[in-house]
Amino acid sequence: MASEINKKTLEYLAELSRIELDERSEEKLLNDLQNILGYFEELKGVDTERVEPMAGGFRLAEDSLRPVEGGTIENNVFREDEENPKSRTQSSKLTDDLPQKENDYLKVPPVFE
Amino acid sequence: MDLSNLTIKKIHEGLTDKKFSAFEITQEFLAYIEEKDRKINAYLRLTKDLALSQANQVDVWLAEKRELPILAGAPLAIKDNILIEGEPATAGSKILANYRAAYDATVIKKLKQAGAIFPGKTNLDEFAMGSSTENSAFKTTKNPCDLERVPGGSSGGSAAAVAADMAVAALGSDTGGSIRQPAGFCGVVGLKPTYGAVSRYGLIAMASSLDQIGPITKTVEDAKILFEAIKGRDALDSTSVDYDAVLEHSKEFSLEGIRKMKIGLPKEYFAGGLDKQTRLAIDEAIKLLKSLKIEFREISLPRTKYALSCYYIIMSAEVSANLARFDGIRYARIDADSRAKESEYMSENQRVNQPKSALEKIYFRQRGRGFGDEAKRRIILGTFVLSAGYYDAYYAKAQKVRRLIKKDFNKAFQEVDVILTPISPTPAFKIGEKVDDPLAMYLSDIFTVPVNLAGLPAISIPIKKYKRGDGELPVGFQLIGKPFRETDILGVGQYYEKLL
Repeated sequence: MASEINKKTLEYLAELSRIELDERSEEKLLNDLQNILGYFEELKGVDTERVEPMAGGFRLAEDSLRPVEGGTIENNVFREDEENPKSRTQSSKLTDDLPQKENDYLKVPPVFE
Repeated sequence: MDLSNLTIKKIHEGLTDKKFSAFEITQEFLAYIEEKDRKINAYLRLTKDLALSQANQVDVWLAEKRELPILAGAPLAIKDNILIEGEPATAGSKILANYRAAYDATVIKKLKQAGAIFPGKTNLDEFAMGSSTENSAFKTTKNPCDLERVPGGSSGGSAAAVAADMAVAALGSDTGGSIRQPAGFCGVVGLKPTYGAVSRYGLIAMASSLDQIGPITKTVEDAKILFEAIKGRDALDSTSVDYDAVLEHSKEFSLEGIRKMKIGLPKEYFAGGLDKQTRLAIDEAIKLLKSLKIEFREISLPRTKYALSCYYIIMSAEVSANLARFDGIRYARIDADSRAKESEYMSENQRVNQPKSALEKIYFRQRGRGFGDEAKRRIILGTFVLSAGYYDAYYAKAQKVRRLIKKDFNKAFQEVDVILTPISPTPAFKIGEKVDDPLAMYLSDIFTVPVNLAGLPAISIPIKKYKRGDGELPVGFQLIGKPFRETDILGVGQYYEKLL
């Protein structure tokens, strides 16, 4: 598996991650990633036949809020769809701190060419 | 006043006995930090105005003869990935250098109500990614026990602040050992609560299925006090749990209860590669605990050796998703009126990957410059393990192995109540020693990551200090408990502390 990451894959991954790379950092990064992925090879040796991936960790007991084991609760959490009376002051706290704004909008450099 | 012997409890007694006011003790701490932190670099910045106004509030309560909450007047250092309204929160990253929090994290809200005092925000590895605090974009924190060594990480600033008496206690966050390992390196106590015990609302997310906020303190008793204050269900974090409803037994632990407990020693944690002095110190701790008539038993956690790979795959996958929100625009401060000078961009010849639009150009530049090497490494690694064609071989495989690791713990906990292990394979290493070799750095987390994968509570407790080179390096042990049974590990820890 380790050889599966090469310069071309790395450049594509960096593009997907929206991170620019120069040649020098690319070389080091490629080397680090190959080492790390090489280390991950050991997982191949674990028998995971018929093992379900652990998406979360714990379910709640049917009858109560008591978790049956540790980890992320796998239950959905709903609330009423109603106006939050604090949302106005909270959003103005956020927009007050924008570096540059017009009305309540964040001003950004031109992005259309 | 001697700040070195202070604990949360002693400050509480000092205030109620009118030995000092909250304002006096806060001023004293702030003055001491300004002097001491020149050498240690534990704090990224002080929040003096906030601390002094909090202190005034406590003094008003005192004057009104209100009953003081136990944490009132206690100066707590806060890791800089936890939001305090109106204060900067950088998570140790350049990309958040100018970000100011618009709200309080739930833990901060609770501590403010309890009258705690926040003298400042502490240094960390960028976005809590690292084991030495060297990945901070701003400064290198030194270990107070030996200034040439790292304080551990990622909560290295919080652990160093407590160890150097620049706070009575602190908050850290632990995704793969980031509370326990620095606490161990600095010789203080660190508690990583059960996943879901403490709200993560207002913690800048790294890996959401693993992150937990927890206390770093001088004593196990203080860890318990701070944990009690921050735990519990929070509507703003759907993974948080109504803690008191899940407790199956009394909150206090009796010696009788301790004596009925069985402690497991997993043989996989004591295999080759463990530092000799660490091993010797742990044997001493076990001997002490045996004097309480606690039964010890060798157990096996057979999948331990796979935990590190499993952790680094799952964590980096979650990192790549969580850090996608940092577009370099919303939380950063880029100039909207003038296009950034072309000279500020990497030239096309320098860049090996080319943005396809003006917008991408901004993202590429802001993220390329805003994130440090470790953040980039993990984002790209996470993107890889989640990508089509590799998902099953890496991510899905790791999630299966995670279930098996959890099963190993479940099985062990049918036999024993608590598991005792080392915290890390070696004591604090030298600054610069591992910074260029990410894999070597990752290996220092080998005894702490399984706990996060399984969502369990664990505490690191100092044993003693060994002379090494010019300094004295602390060594400690880790106690791992069943889910939501913090009482067990805190109980054993408190009785251990009484034996010293």
